[in-house]
Amino acid sequence: MKQQQKNRFGFLLPTGVVLALLLLWFLVSFFKLVPAYQLPSPADALKSFKEEIFAGRLYNDIIASLWRVSVGFAISAVLGIPLGLWIGQHAASRRALLPVLNFFRFLSPLAWIPFAILWFHIGDKPAVFLLFMATFFPLTISTMTAVAGIPNIYFRVARDYNYRGWELLSKVTFPAVLPQVITSMRVTYGIAWVVIVAAEMVGCQDGLGYGIWDARNGLRLDIAVSYMLVIGLLGVIIDRLISQLTKLPNVRWGYER
Amino acid sequence: MKLTMGRFIIGVVLFIGIIGLLRFHPWTKTKADTDKKGTVHEGPKGDAGQSLTIGYLPVTCHLTCPVTDYASKTTKSNTNFNSQRFTDFPTVVSAMEAKQIQATFMIVPLAMKLREEGVPVKICYLGHRDGTEIMVRKDSKASSLRDMKGKTMAIPSPYSNQNIMIHKLMQDQGLKPDDINFVVLPPPDMPTSLAAGAIDGYVVGEPFCAKAELDGTGRVLYYASDIWPDFVSCALVVHEDLINERPDVVKDLVRGIAQSGKWAETHRADAAKLAAPYFRQDRKVLDYVLNSSTKRVSYVQLTPTDEELQRIDDMAVKMGILKRTVPMSELIDREFIPHDIEAAAIESDKIPDK
Repeated sequence: MKQQQKNRFGFLLPTGVVLALLLLWFLVSFFKLVPAYQLPSPADALKSFKEEIFAGRLYNDIIASLWRVSVGFAISAVLGIPLGLWIGQHAASRRALLPVLNFFRFLSPLAWIPFAILWFHIGDKPAVFLLFMATFFPLTISTMTAVAGIPNIYFRVARDYNYRGWELLSKVTFPAVLPQVITSMRVTYGIAWVVIVAAEMVGCQDGLGYGIWDARNGLRLDIAVSYMLVIGLLGVIIDRLISQLTKLPNVRWGYER
Repeated sequence: MKLTMGRFIIGVVLFIGIIGLLRFHPWTKTKADTDKKGTVHEGPKGDAGQSLTIGYLPVTCHLTCPVTDYASKTTKSNTNFNSQRFTDFPTVVSAMEAKQIQATFMIVPLAMKLREEGVPVKICYLGHRDGTEIMVRKDSKASSLRDMKGKTMAIPSPYSNQNIMIHKLMQDQGLKPDDINFVVLPPPDMPTSLAAGAIDGYVVGEPFCAKAELDGTGRVLYYASDIWPDFVSCALVVHEDLINERPDVVKDLVRGIAQSGKWAETHRADAAKLAAPYFRQDRKVLDYVLNSSTKRVSYVQLTPTDEELQRIDDMAVKMGILKRTVPMSELIDREFIPHDIEAAAIESDKIPDK
């Protein structure tokens, strides 16, 4: 009963923090604690927000960014997770590939921008490429680490049951690493969403990140602020959706609940 | 409904599918739609037989680009010009190298650099004259560049003519190259950096000087015309392949730009109104650049001469920005500039008020 009540009013605390932050922003600009060119006021941000919605640009930009992030992230998940599973199970391939994977992991996607345009020209493709480069390596490496960390006893039991190949993968390895894979998907998805601003510098003509660059060039920081709010909000919403994965029945045991 | 792995994957696929549908609208997709995407205005001549995309940045040096875009859709033109707004020059260069665009506005020394790197581009026309200022803080007591000794100033790019101009002025005033500390900053960040005290001054093209003046945070120390009469910042740069393959389109383009410049010179308020939605900038700022003083910008006499570009080239080589001089005969192509330039026949009262 008490637990239920806690759940019902659980939203009050975070909502309160959000409102307090908004109030702080309002007060800072209302009393002109910092000049308007350093921090646009909530009223200005709201006005430009309305402007962007009615011009239809915001909707278009949201769809564009969601598309690029989803595709880029889906490609790295489809390639990276199986690769990580495979490398994790083979010590030799781990030794061979880990330095290279690590090397690429530390390259900022910004460094790839000139090549992204040269190889993929202008539009969605270079942005998707940059998002892929930002997410593929961390996802592969953390999947690999998770597999390498499975207690040996699991595999010994699996041998007793005569599990091999696909059966071993689907009945032992994958369920054992799924909790960590889901966590690293949440983290790398976060990276993808962070990288979107940089990725959309690349000769894109729409998207939330492009909107921020464009607002900056147009000397309209109020628009930039409203785009930042949208990027943050959408990031939170999609993270909630991915975290639903932890409710999968064969994941729950990984969380010891 | 219980969540299972299968259902989750179906959900993800559905999500990406729906986003894809919303993004590409396959049910309405035609070539005309794709071409029109991103255009701000559509006019009666939106159906011209051929089209060309020209790159530009939202700076007043490139103002004739959106004007030509608008004019090609509202007046008689054989070619439909679409202006594509970029956010920075490095991206423009990459797009040019990848031949994603074959004509663009670009800072002149950067075009020379491209030529030096073996990218076959030619300067066919200029963007505008003057349009650059050296700015200092409003409360600064500086009355000449000598007073900026030991201070930090921002330049937009080493390959900008602004960089060359300020070094020329330093030389004129007997300053050594390291007397002023230069940093490269993106132009949009210059007015705010000046106001915040991160830099003591900057040199850049408009409207990033007007912005500081309007905000009351900066003042003009020098107009370009005080230092370098008929100062050249940007040029219309065209890929040689386009010149060889579609010379008639290039001819249309240069004529369109020239006519747009002639129109903008005498219809300054209208030009600000027209360009603001293309630039996505505040019309007030553009209006200020175009109308506050005739010293600020000029859109006539835009034929590049060998002497003036040679001068930029020589100074760039001397400063170590370029490795060797580029022969002007290779760099400049004046073939397409019309003899008599009429103002573009834009009807002022039809410019949408956005």
